[in-house]
Amino acid sequence: MSDDGSWPLVEADLLPLSIGAAFLGTGGGGNPYVGMLRSRELLRKGATVRVLPLDALPDDALIGEVGGIGAPVVGVEKIEEGGECYRAMRAVEDTLGIRMSALICAEIGGANAMEPVITAAQAGLPVIDGDGMGRAFPEVQMTTFFIYGAKPSPAAIADDKGNVVVFRDVIDMYWLERFARDTSVAMGAAAGFAIAPMRMDFVRRTAVPNTMTQALTIGRAVLDARAKRQNVVERIVAATGATLFFTGKVTDIRRELKGGFARGEAKIAGMGDWQGCEGRIAIQNENLVLWVDGDPVIMVPDLIINLDLETGEPITTEVLRYGQRVAVIGLPVHDLMKTPEAMAVVGPQAFGYPDLTFAPLAFGPINA
Amino acid sequence: MKIIRMVDVDDMEDIAIGGAVLGTGGGGDPYVGKLMAQQAIRKHGPVRLIDVMELADDALVVPVCMMGAPTVMTEKLPQGDELMNAFVALERVMGRKIDAVLCGEAGGVNSTTPFVVAASSGLPLIDGDGMGRAYPELQMVTFTLHGVSATPMVLCDDKGNSLVLNTVSNAWTERLARAATIEMGGSALLAFYPMSGAVAKKAIVAGTLTLCAKIGEILRAARAEHSDPVAALTDLLGATTLFHGRVMDIERRTEGGFARGKATFTGVDTCKGQTLRLDFQNEFLMAERDGEVLATTPDLIAVVEADSGAPVTTDSLKYGQRLIALAWPSNPMWRTPEGIALVGPRYFKYDRDYVALG
Repeated sequence: MSDDGSWPLVEADLLPLSIGAAFLGTGGGGNPYVGMLRSRELLRKGATVRVLPLDALPDDALIGEVGGIGAPVVGVEKIEEGGECYRAMRAVEDTLGIRMSALICAEIGGANAMEPVITAAQAGLPVIDGDGMGRAFPEVQMTTFFIYGAKPSPAAIADDKGNVVVFRDVIDMYWLERFARDTSVAMGAAAGFAIAPMRMDFVRRTAVPNTMTQALTIGRAVLDARAKRQNVVERIVAATGATLFFTGKVTDIRRELKGGFARGEAKIAGMGDWQGCEGRIAIQNENLVLWVDGDPVIMVPDLIINLDLETGEPITTEVLRYGQRVAVIGLPVHDLMKTPEAMAVVGPQAFGYPDLTFAPLAFGPINA
Repeated sequence: MKIIRMVDVDDMEDIAIGGAVLGTGGGGDPYVGKLMAQQAIRKHGPVRLIDVMELADDALVVPVCMMGAPTVMTEKLPQGDELMNAFVALERVMGRKIDAVLCGEAGGVNSTTPFVVAASSGLPLIDGDGMGRAYPELQMVTFTLHGVSATPMVLCDDKGNSLVLNTVSNAWTERLARAATIEMGGSALLAFYPMSGAVAKKAIVAGTLTLCAKIGEILRAARAEHSDPVAALTDLLGATTLFHGRVMDIERRTEGGFARGKATFTGVDTCKGQTLRLDFQNEFLMAERDGEVLATTPDLIAVVEADSGAPVTTDSLKYGQRLIALAWPSNPMWRTPEGIALVGPRYFKYDRDYVALG
């Protein structure tokens, strides 16, 4: 660590970062594995990426947000060409005639934890320790940046073939989501995306802080627990302040691809302390709500994470299947995601549950 | 610069009629575009129509167009500033002043939309276009045959959204612009295919806006003199009369942003006892009489009212109408193997070879 609190990302960080990111993906966000391999290749070829704390850069520094956009199921089969986010970021820069000073994640959860690392390695930029969600969410406007007033344009999307579309003027963040979603589908349902630059003072105020460090800490706890043959679920719960809400066996899973999203519901028959209870989880790419015996116990924007009961491996919604034994844990989302402004964009109502009122989770004792 | 003619408010009536004929059943109703052009001319003055050969080789030429399903375009009117917004935005992307406006598609609504931009910007409008007719997809222009890229391209909607595209091929431009157009509500306005004067001289179908005006004039004159407007039109275009009949059946569906379908006609007069089938995808693309292919895209197939010669679009075809189907040869650029590959019947998924009209 240097004077400004920054640190270089090294190869040994990448695996725990990807494991922590998968955990914070809350069932969605895409698999970070391919992005982890790609970042590793870039670092091995001599690229360096420094991670900066939120207070490192001056107020007027311009920060870019990049990430993949598309259906996670597609991202697994249609591997990125590698330069998508880089081309999207350059298109935004060229439109405005500016250069970014650093990059930040839109979402730390899932594959998009790795995208800014890849783009930063290609562009020779640092990344900022924080993100716009503190988890994963399915739509473009669901970041703290947009919730607190980031400009929706110019933004850009780039595909694997070399096509680039710049959203030069869009009237609001919902229109940006509509255009970006449709364009990504036309591009083959996986593309790189970059939004308009944000000033550092705005990012300092609106980013969910230190989430790269958080993902790393979680990933390291998982690897350490595995090495010591400890109970991984217990270690994760202790390391994050999460609460175990349910254990059981998946008895039914309903899934459909609708409007570019994976939507559905999983039913889980209780085991252990929850013997005889029934759990139910609603899904839109990510886990949205957990009900136990009909009562909602965790809901968006708080984090709902399914872990393999034996290995502690996070289970994404697309690989959830009949017979799996899972531990369902809940983690409180950052306070920036609990304000009335945030509720309008990422609360249960925004996801189509008008009857649910957000009841925030409390942190458990943290004991890494 | 020599001016072919000054186009004033009244001239737009003739040009819109001519545009509808070259629209070959599609291209969108020129009515809305005509009103927009007339309003712009009233406000800014007449449009200078120039010969492409008058342009400097290093001039920057930009075509403008309205994109979308014709059925949507007649109901969802542009807000008014989009075309100029797209044009000015492309100027900014190119980083230099545009010297002349070009028509992308002389058939349908886009015969009139370039007049809006020419009048508002005070720039000259080139007498010509990229099709000599109407086509449903944006790579289907003679510019593509000359290797001109559709991008950088700007796409604007009525709400204030604007997109800039940079693509690897004109077919990809179509695909991405179509997705955005559908999201914008089924119609959008664009500035695209920026090209030099030197390229424009080779790549455009020249003289088509003058042709539009002439078509309007002769139809108007023939009606005033109570002579046969269809005969006058046929003479002017060098067209063949394919069929004289009544609409018996229409099958229409809006699919992937296009109005697709077929119309069946039963013959009257000399065509009694015969049946004509016209297949369309926004435009009329193929004519078959009793199973025999009479004409196919890229040659032009138009349907006009038997007594007035007024052009009929695919979306206004109705059971019982008495109509005449005409066909005439397309520009020679289209009748090459490259042209047929881009816009021939097989591209439109018809299992037929191109049959050149004599």
